[in-house]
Amino acid sequence: MGIYKFLLKRVLQGLFVIWGIVTVVFLLRFMTPGDPVSFVAPLDAPPALRAQIAEDLGLNQPLHIQYAEYLIGLVQGDMGYSYISNTDAGSRIFARLPATLELALMATLIAIIISIPLGIISAANRHEPSDYAATSFSLIGISTPNFWLGIMLILVFAETLGVLPSGQQAIGLVGALQMLIFEQNVSGLRAWGAHIILPAITLGTYFTALIMRLTRNGMLEELGKTYIRALRAKGLPETLVRYKHALRNTLIPIITILGLQLGTLIGGAVVTETVFAWPGLGRLVITSVLNRDWPLIQGTLIVIGVGFVVINIVVDSLYAYVNPKVGYE
Amino acid sequence: MVLVPRESDSADLIRVRDLTTRFYTEEGQINAVESINFTIQKGEIFGIVGESGSGKSVAALSLIDLIEEPGRIVGGEIWYRNPDLAEMVADATPDAVDGAYVDILQLSEGGRHALRGSTFSMIFQDPMSSFNPSVTVGEQIAEAVEVQRRASANPRSTRARTEDFSLVSFLLSSALPSRQFVTPDSKDRAIELLEQVGIPDPAKRAEEYPYEYSGGMLQRAMIAQALAGEPEILIADEPTTALDVTIQSQILQLLSELQDETGLSIVLISHNLGVISRICDRVGVMYAGELIEKGDLSDIHQSSVHPYTQGLLDSIPDFEHPESSLQPIPGNVPSLLDSEMGDGCYFADRCPKAMTTCREKPPEFTVDGDDDHTVQCYLAREAYDPAKALEDNIDSEEPDATASTMNREQLEHSPVEFDNE
Repeated sequence: MGIYKFLLKRVLQGLFVIWGIVTVVFLLRFMTPGDPVSFVAPLDAPPALRAQIAEDLGLNQPLHIQYAEYLIGLVQGDMGYSYISNTDAGSRIFARLPATLELALMATLIAIIISIPLGIISAANRHEPSDYAATSFSLIGISTPNFWLGIMLILVFAETLGVLPSGQQAIGLVGALQMLIFEQNVSGLRAWGAHIILPAITLGTYFTALIMRLTRNGMLEELGKTYIRALRAKGLPETLVRYKHALRNTLIPIITILGLQLGTLIGGAVVTETVFAWPGLGRLVITSVLNRDWPLIQGTLIVIGVGFVVINIVVDSLYAYVNPKVGYE
Repeated sequence: MVLVPRESDSADLIRVRDLTTRFYTEEGQINAVESINFTIQKGEIFGIVGESGSGKSVAALSLIDLIEEPGRIVGGEIWYRNPDLAEMVADATPDAVDGAYVDILQLSEGGRHALRGSTFSMIFQDPMSSFNPSVTVGEQIAEAVEVQRRASANPRSTRARTEDFSLVSFLLSSALPSRQFVTPDSKDRAIELLEQVGIPDPAKRAEEYPYEYSGGMLQRAMIAQALAGEPEILIADEPTTALDVTIQSQILQLLSELQDETGLSIVLISHNLGVISRICDRVGVMYAGELIEKGDLSDIHQSSVHPYTQGLLDSIPDFEHPESSLQPIPGNVPSLLDSEMGDGCYFADRCPKAMTTCREKPPEFTVDGDDDHTVQCYLAREAYDPAKALEDNIDSEEPDATASTMNREQLEHSPVEFDNE
């Protein structure tokens, strides 16, 4: 099966999954306690006003009509209006999306850059000081709660040393790149980097530790296999034995984990975003839940769900690319 | 049986003297190979036969220097005849040179590494697990070609072979196709090699992955890979064990033909004396880390002295006399753990002809004045005397409790699998 057919099949499957997400998210509203009207209406609002508000928000219609209207709206790119601010939910969500994506990608990038070489070094020097150092780092990384790590980083780098801002986004990556390209001005990119580095480290530490362990164990396992001895028997340089052969096979399962974790990072950045006042989806969804602002909650969850599905398709394609036995089947 | 003409006057290509390889495990020291002596002549097929755990694979891996931790070659010499190499290393390591011979155990690690693929190459038992599953077969063979090509471009430098391809080169090769380790030339050569070992449609098969091959085809591909560096000695470690019987004989046939065509020497390792008998010129029998008897194939077949060798012969089915029953050797291979090994003959416990003299380790005797036929057994000196029989010999029904600690691939009961071809 060719790659196009493979992709088409995966996209169709993905659409089905997304429909499922939409339905569950929609039904969630009817299973959650708390009437949105009471959050929108003034505390002393008379029943007539409450009824009017419910009517305006479209809450009086039967379930299936609301569902159909929501689906039709979604297909047209309309996620409804925020109950609280009466603004377009979609545009608010997509205004927040880049910040979250940048943070998640940056955290992943940091994780990959640190963890894979560290894992390799650790495996190559098994039971030596560098290995113990790396595995200790990994243990600490896995067991450190990231809200605490975030606060500590702010304390050290923002408060005590004063070298980095304590969070908040000064400029988006797109804006920074525009400055660089059109004005040859690197200050935007520098500001972007300074603001994102602490949150990205906070978000990526667990992930770094996890991938490091997987790389180390995977490398050790691969290097113990019979084919490694056969490669050495033909006189192949050790560099190639390790990196061309063993590392490649080690990375196959790691790609899967990377993809799944990237999805988790997008949805799971809530704590980090709160600690660093990061203007991302995580904080948006928290405030929306507190306000029972259903169009925003639904929209955010659907966007995160779509992100998961897309990442999975990419990961599956990559997986098929690196593992010939799987192929595009 | 395919008879290969022997050049009786050819000098030895390899002389192994007192080779000893031990493993230092948590349970203790394991004497996997204990002072073995043998020679390999140019253009012969030397068979090493023995039960699982007798140390034959370790002996082979010691030759090609692939013993892994916690194992170590602790003593002995491996003299390899190569006048060019002797001249090359004479200045740096004069002790390692004796005429045209070089003691490869005295060479530097890089120097020994440089012999892999070019002097020694090896094929393994299970072809499926001996190829990287995610790299095409053609590419893996081309790598072997490329290693030797780069080395021969600069024959005096072992560095060219072992260290030239640094991490930086590797990273560059990942990014730039023109900097890749394997060149189109070596890929073409890989296809020729696949053709040479009888793989149909080699150009197409070269692009396939190991899992797309059958076991027999993959074993052929592994032989092709082993031939890539035009080695002088091919070590075949149980090359047919994982294969069907019909495929087994094809592979043996192929090895024998290649030996004829290229004049390379083959060390064939098998637990199966039937396999050994089909293509070998000379045979060594290993037991508990020692080469207990060695000689020409006919010596072993017709005038073997060691009761263990005779036991191996008795456990091959004889289809000309189907009424005779198989005679398995009672008991199991002894533990190779140093602390559990006795002082006497290691086979005495299982030996039907053990005598009181066997409490002392037998030296190597020549048989009937034939220098090529040697045996470590007192029976070469004196006939069996029932009056001197060793008492309370371990009964065959009682499995040796200590044996199980070492032998991972230990056979369940019958120690020798028979060849049912």
